[in-house]
Amino acid sequence: MNEATPPADGGSAEVPGPRRRAFLRGAVGAGFAGAAAGGAVAGYAYRAGRPEPPGQVAADEAETGRLPAVPFHGRHQAGILPQPQRQTAVVSFNATADGHAELTDLLQTLTDRARFLTTGGTPPPVGIGAPPSDSGVLGPTVVPDGLTVTVGVGPSLFDGRYGLADRKPAGLTAMTTFPNDNLDPAQCGGDLIVQLSGGHTDTVVHALRDIARHTRGGMQANWRIDGFCSPARPAGTVPRNLLGFMDGIANPDTGSAAEMDGLIWVRPGAGEPAWTAGGSYFVVRLIRMLVEFWDRVGIGEQEGMIGRRRATGFPLDADSLFAAPDYALDPTGDMIALNAHIRLANPRTPQTASSRILRRGYNYDRGIDAVGDLDMGLIFTCFQQDIKRQFETVQTRLINEPLVDYISPFGGGYFFALPGVAGPGDYYGRAMVS
Amino acid sequence: MVNTGTCGAGWQHPEPGLQTLRIYDGATEGGDIDLIDPANGAVYGEVEMLGPGTTASMSVDLGSGSYAFRCLFDDTDPMTGSVIKIDGHVRGATPILPVTSNDLLGPAKEYQAYVTAGLAVLAGQTHALAAAVQAGDLAAARAAWLPAHLTYERLGAAYGTFGNFDDEIDGRATGLAGGVNDPKFTGFYRLEYGLWHGQSAAELTGPANELYHDVLGLQSAFPTMELSLLDIGLRTHEILENALEFQLTGTDDYGSGTTLATTAANITGTEELLQILHPLLVPRYPALPRVYTWLNRLQSLIDAQHQADGAWTPVTALSTADRQQIDAAIGQALQELAPIAAITEPRTT
Repeated sequence: MNEATPPADGGSAEVPGPRRRAFLRGAVGAGFAGAAAGGAVAGYAYRAGRPEPPGQVAADEAETGRLPAVPFHGRHQAGILPQPQRQTAVVSFNATADGHAELTDLLQTLTDRARFLTTGGTPPPVGIGAPPSDSGVLGPTVVPDGLTVTVGVGPSLFDGRYGLADRKPAGLTAMTTFPNDNLDPAQCGGDLIVQLSGGHTDTVVHALRDIARHTRGGMQANWRIDGFCSPARPAGTVPRNLLGFMDGIANPDTGSAAEMDGLIWVRPGAGEPAWTAGGSYFVVRLIRMLVEFWDRVGIGEQEGMIGRRRATGFPLDADSLFAAPDYALDPTGDMIALNAHIRLANPRTPQTASSRILRRGYNYDRGIDAVGDLDMGLIFTCFQQDIKRQFETVQTRLINEPLVDYISPFGGGYFFALPGVAGPGDYYGRAMVS
Repeated sequence: MVNTGTCGAGWQHPEPGLQTLRIYDGATEGGDIDLIDPANGAVYGEVEMLGPGTTASMSVDLGSGSYAFRCLFDDTDPMTGSVIKIDGHVRGATPILPVTSNDLLGPAKEYQAYVTAGLAVLAGQTHALAAAVQAGDLAAARAAWLPAHLTYERLGAAYGTFGNFDDEIDGRATGLAGGVNDPKFTGFYRLEYGLWHGQSAAELTGPANELYHDVLGLQSAFPTMELSLLDIGLRTHEILENALEFQLTGTDDYGSGTTLATTAANITGTEELLQILHPLLVPRYPALPRVYTWLNRLQSLIDAQHQADGAWTPVTALSTADRQQIDAAIGQALQELAPIAAITEPRTT
């Protein structure tokens, strides 16, 4: 299972040959089966690159109803590398802090809350001096339940308001509009992004209420989306997206420091300000899946568009889940079409190895649209060292993929996930605002 | 263990630090149990309405010092248990001196005087409003509507302060089967709807006169209305909770686009209550200056939407940035205001 190394002689992504509907308009959706190596599992407790030990996560959760704390302090934020958890909330905020000092207060408060919520403990008693200091949603003692808090900053934070114009990460721009995007400005961008992920919905909701309560004056929510990561079905495989396909089979090896340094963590120099060390570019794309339409498509066409078997997740040219497709043996796309999603997303060539991204998608499901169809899809998130070299390169390759007819990207943004909080005296973005 | 004979027996080996005390009521009566500083009666923790034969927990952060339980059983004189000492030099939470009903009598009188004066002004303004409608001068009526409404909103009416009068004078159409056309829809919002939706003077004369008469009714009933002492503290955040829920969302905009003006009036009402409670709050609420910081910021942000010609920006016309600044300021102000209701709840000592 050495998929991190692309085949030496991978097939190049030629202009795709037409299939039924493939002639329809081109577009986007880097969300479905991108880059290299790693068995994706639910529950952060497992190292990437290893299949899920069957049943262990489920048994642990069933017995205790909670997951252990994820250490908060570190060189990088703790929520970036772990596998997707059961539940997530992604919330965009605008800073309303009045000036640099209040922004610093906001970042310190956010850090204090994240530290407490991810560590767990007893909320302080208030006596007769105030309403209860905690919502009580998790009971009298706050359990960590694997909570991670990932904080990013958007390009708009670096306008004139906070004197940070010369601190902007070099590659941080407003999100590019790709062909066939259907972006709603009200669900795009933001000065700050906060992603809360944990073992259960109540854990995530509790954390969001707590953070909002402590930061009301400093930031205001712009948009929010909640997501979930399904259990691997069958056990030992990879969680599925709402198209019914396993999603996140191939990813860079998060256990390899060299690979993470080469693909994920930002290195100062080359125009990047020094404070960015240890951070990572954080792309969020909200992608509606037109599931009714999709469900009316034959299985052969579905599998052809993705390039994998729906039931097993196997590449169409292989007999195991984590096998690397051999595009060199299939230069004309007889087995895996040249425009299949997995082939465009990750052609597995030496030339495309540096465009790989760390994908951390979640499913979303939030009601119905104007014609009564289900509003569900993917919260595509990915981390990378360089948005242009990585996400945008992958996304550009996907512009003409056939899958585009079944998806509609409507929101999201480009953010920079701040360096980790090093210790008790540190806070999110300290080097950015100092 | 508490009962009518002993108050706080069985606390073995008291230690400093964050802890949860479990309190069992062995009496045949229920009551409130406080953990106090025996020197001055300041309260560290409180269990309200502990029932006979039941247990409740009290979370406290105790430092070195002296402690005692105080038991306030129904139909029994307050009783203080024996003094418990925690040795050493550990810092714990700061206790708060309870506010008594007696402490609140002065503030209640001041608030009554404030409302009484406001109602007198309101009576004159609603009379002028009714007269304008009756005379068929709807432009004058629209001009008279806002100052009258703001006078009412400055009184700090929220959550039933004025009983049914509030529904009649300032009730909204939601909750009425016929909505804005329901005959039970009366008062300021009924008139606002008509005045800003092209209804005729003939159609509005009835509602305008009714409003004036309801204000007169409130004015004569108010001196005999019982004002709950608990409400004075509660209103310090409830008035702006209402503003956030109904004014800043635009729910209560029946056509004039003046919900930001209403919010400003609600800030004035809140500040009046704060001023009345100020002497009680200063020794009990160290973060009180933050309340004023955020109320002032909110006030400035709202004032910035009051145009030179007297018009107000409707909330629906606010830019995202302005809207978020206002929402942030009221949200933070409410957070800072919330402790006041807990601190000023009347307690027996």
